[in-house]
Amino acid sequence: MIEVSRLTKAFGPRVALDDVNFTIQKGEIVGFLGPNGAGKTTTMRILTGYIPATAGIVRVAGYDVFDEPYEVRERVGYLPETPPLYPEFSVGEYLQFCAELRRVPKAKRATVIGDTMERVGLRGWERRLLGSLSKGYRQRVGLAQALLHDPSVLILDEPTSGLDPAQLAGIRELIQSLAGTHTVILSTHILSEVDALCPRAIIIDRGRVVAQGTLAELREQAPGGAWTYVEVRGIDGPRLGGLPGIARVEPLPTVDGWAAWCVRSSTDPRELLAGRAAAGDFQLRALERRAPTLEDAFIHIVGREGAQA
Amino acid sequence: MAVSQARRRFAAGGNSLLVSVLVVAAACVGYLLVDLHRLRVDLSADQGAALLPDTLTKLALLDRDATPVTVTAFSGQRGKQESYFKDRALRDLLDEVDFASQVVTVQFVDFDKERLTAEKLGVTDYSTVVVQRGGARVDIKDRELFKRVGKGEDRHLEFLGEKALDRAFAQLTAENHRVVYTLVGHGELDPDNHDLGGLSEAAAVLQQDDYKLERLDFIRQRDMAVPRVPDDAAALAILRPKVPIPALEEDLILAYLAGGGALVIAVDPESPVPSILGRLGVVIPSGRVLDKLLVFPYPDRPVPRYKSHPITRDLSEDSLVTVVSGVAPVQAAVPPLEGIRNTIVLETTRDGWIDRGGALKNGQGLYEPAIDGQGPATMAVALEVSRDSGLVKKGIGRVLIVGDSDLFTNGLLLEGPGNASFVLNSFRWLIGDEARISVIGGAKKARRLALTAEDGDQIRWLAIGLGPLLVLVLGVGVWASRRGR
Amino acid sequence: MSSVTTIWKKELRIYAVNPTAYAFLSVFLFLAGLFFYLGVTLTGEASLRVLSSNLAIAELFILPMLTMRHFAEERRQGTLEMLLTAPISPWSLVIGKWLASVTLCALMFLGTCVLPIILAYYGNPDWGVVLTTYLGLLFVAGAFCAAGLLASTLLDDQLAAGLLGIAMLLPFWLISRAEALVGDDLALKLQPFGVLNHLEAFGRGIIDSADVYYFAAMTFTFLFLTYRSLESRRWR
Repeated sequence: MIEVSRLTKAFGPRVALDDVNFTIQKGEIVGFLGPNGAGKTTTMRILTGYIPATAGIVRVAGYDVFDEPYEVRERVGYLPETPPLYPEFSVGEYLQFCAELRRVPKAKRATVIGDTMERVGLRGWERRLLGSLSKGYRQRVGLAQALLHDPSVLILDEPTSGLDPAQLAGIRELIQSLAGTHTVILSTHILSEVDALCPRAIIIDRGRVVAQGTLAELREQAPGGAWTYVEVRGIDGPRLGGLPGIARVEPLPTVDGWAAWCVRSSTDPRELLAGRAAAGDFQLRALERRAPTLEDAFIHIVGREGAQA
Repeated sequence: MAVSQARRRFAAGGNSLLVSVLVVAAACVGYLLVDLHRLRVDLSADQGAALLPDTLTKLALLDRDATPVTVTAFSGQRGKQESYFKDRALRDLLDEVDFASQVVTVQFVDFDKERLTAEKLGVTDYSTVVVQRGGARVDIKDRELFKRVGKGEDRHLEFLGEKALDRAFAQLTAENHRVVYTLVGHGELDPDNHDLGGLSEAAAVLQQDDYKLERLDFIRQRDMAVPRVPDDAAALAILRPKVPIPALEEDLILAYLAGGGALVIAVDPESPVPSILGRLGVVIPSGRVLDKLLVFPYPDRPVPRYKSHPITRDLSEDSLVTVVSGVAPVQAAVPPLEGIRNTIVLETTRDGWIDRGGALKNGQGLYEPAIDGQGPATMAVALEVSRDSGLVKKGIGRVLIVGDSDLFTNGLLLEGPGNASFVLNSFRWLIGDEARISVIGGAKKARRLALTAEDGDQIRWLAIGLGPLLVLVLGVGVWASRRGR
Repeated sequence: MSSVTTIWKKELRIYAVNPTAYAFLSVFLFLAGLFFYLGVTLTGEASLRVLSSNLAIAELFILPMLTMRHFAEERRQGTLEMLLTAPISPWSLVIGKWLASVTLCALMFLGTCVLPIILAYYGNPDWGVVLTTYLGLLFVAGAFCAAGLLASTLLDDQLAAGLLGIAMLLPFWLISRAEALVGDDLALKLQPFGVLNHLEAFGRGIIDSADVYYFAAMTFTFLFLTYRSLESRRWR
């Protein structure tokens, strides 16, 4: 549904995107992940045809974005980083305009607008002026605008920013409901977002795709792979680390007077630790094998500075 | 790949500056082209803004000659309210003249501010126009430009500048000494005869335009090996021959016409009809033209009506009567012969007829359908003969045929208020000097707005207060209705 | 075509709900009334001549202010991104916005209709000339709105865009008054570029093809440059 190959974009001497390649299948929901300034918004603007690429081929819904821009635009719903709203319009007036702009047939307009408002949770807000809406509601109106003409491809730039937790759940549910019928690419810098929504993610940093794959695949890229969480008493770090088969331990914050440790080893050390504890070598309260988090992987992939920027 | 990208950039973005410059340049070049062939529509009342066709003809004549002409107009007295109308009317006229002509340069001068220009031209009055061409100069005074018309409430100023300017152009373009020959030798009217039946007065009238009236006698034309109409002839007049003109002489006349000549032929009832008329498709039926509308107390002097033609234009405007006496009907072929264009110049009213004798009432003729010809009867007709007729080989021949010779004579020229103009205009038309026939119309009315102090107050509130206030109220209403939503 | 109408309707709606549009309209009507009143009382003539030349100059200052928000504001709000990724051509956008501005101008002129009616009540105006006067002013409005739109695409700040629009148009006015600034000869050569030179014949009741072309070409050129400027922004 979306094919990007060898995409390069330069703003004058500054290279914003450098040889970006990825493909998104029909019906997929893909997270577009990266620190601020990595090139997420630029990529999305190129996908929608708002700005042209310097080089490379971009095909959306089967059409070349450059050669057949109108074919692409008709099939794409786009929510830019800031929701594109006219503050002097009411919600109803605004969506009416968007429906006309998107050539929703006149007869269907009222129902389409009603349905979409229902979907994004805007029922009863027709007469409110956009200028007086909170960030969360603005985001919903922006989303409604992108969904109005039932596009097969949805490009959402930070769709959940500024939403409170309750709203967040609602929007996530909505996006998830689109899976299968719609192809969705959404950018975010919030990891849990991708975790909750996207089976697959593309990680971009400084204009390059640094990793892509399913979430499990990405997690595997975290350093050291899986590790073991323990809470113990009566044993200190060096002794714990000195046990056979254990490569390294890292201290974690103490919990209720119990020392917590991250235990790394090449094999699963749980049997060994449980056996030792049963033998009375030390007291054991918690023993848990943990998979690497996406955060670990992300930090690893883009580097610590990048992740915090 | 790289090539296609470069092409894309060029097509869609890279050459943006070049294309923009080209579009701007094309817009400018387009203006030059449009400027060459301007089309104008005049929507003002009576098409008063644009120049009259006659003025345009005159300007075209000036352009053809290419001698530079300058028109300098001086402003009206400052502070006088009518000066605004005067200045504006003059400026508008100058703009139109400037637009329509190549050789005329116009200048509007503030009389108070630019005293030097006024002094240089020796102009001492406000609202004066000075027209200069070569060394010649014509001044047009305020009273020729503006006229007060109407009575009481309706009294207003009228601008007659176009007409005045027109006359000035005509005066400046007049050429010297052109000869009008009048045929003699067959009992025609005589230019040297100062009696009532002579043409001496007509010669004096033509002198006004520097036309000289001279006799032409083919028989006595000794200085020529082969008799012919002299080359300097501006027109040839054949005014009521009493005996038929010999065929040989008629051939000479036809030869003259063939070279694009101009003829005026006058006949009277019962006088012999030159056979040339037949060649031109004009018949002089028997009888005489009469009308219920007569010049009192003469039973044989119908009052001619002026038909639309350059000859009669200013006569009908000034409603001056041309007096005729004992008129033969003139009948042009309908439809006209090929290559000949007929225009009736003089005609009776609808009550006129061609009388062929019969009963009289109070000494005046009566219309008797059984014997008389039905009116209105034509008294004079103008012909333009083109090459298609086979009669003319070069240019256009012009012929005026009048069913009365008396109107050219001393007696009626002095008596009839319009006769002199009719005669002069006839020759002007024949010779192609329409430019001299003065223009009618073109007077522009001042559209006065007479306001009392009270009216002024009302207008002030209506014009300045009402609209903005309404809009503000509307704006506040909209703002209030949407606030807090 | 339908997308032009969509944009046109939207822009008119924004004007309709925007208090600033009413403020400008009201200023415009006030100036028109003032020029009219002064013209009528000073000349004592039932005509709109004085009004029309002064109103053209008022348009020069007011119209860039009315059109300045079009692209500058859309860009600031992020709505330009939505419009340019919608399935409409940038031309529709430019034309729709221009038509909306010209429609607003036509409404302004409609608001000044009370002035010729006053003339007709107290005197006897030449209606043909009144008609061509308005036509001329509308042509001026079309060209000035196009220039305002161009300025609006060039600068992000709307007030700056408005001032730029005025600055772009000032030469077209000053050329008509050039005799005082430069020599007579140069002034004569420049005259075909002056706005007032081309408005003059309309004020006399004459519609001249060269004048119509002048305004049409000026309008088209500015609209074309607007379109180009809009496009080139995407290339930078």
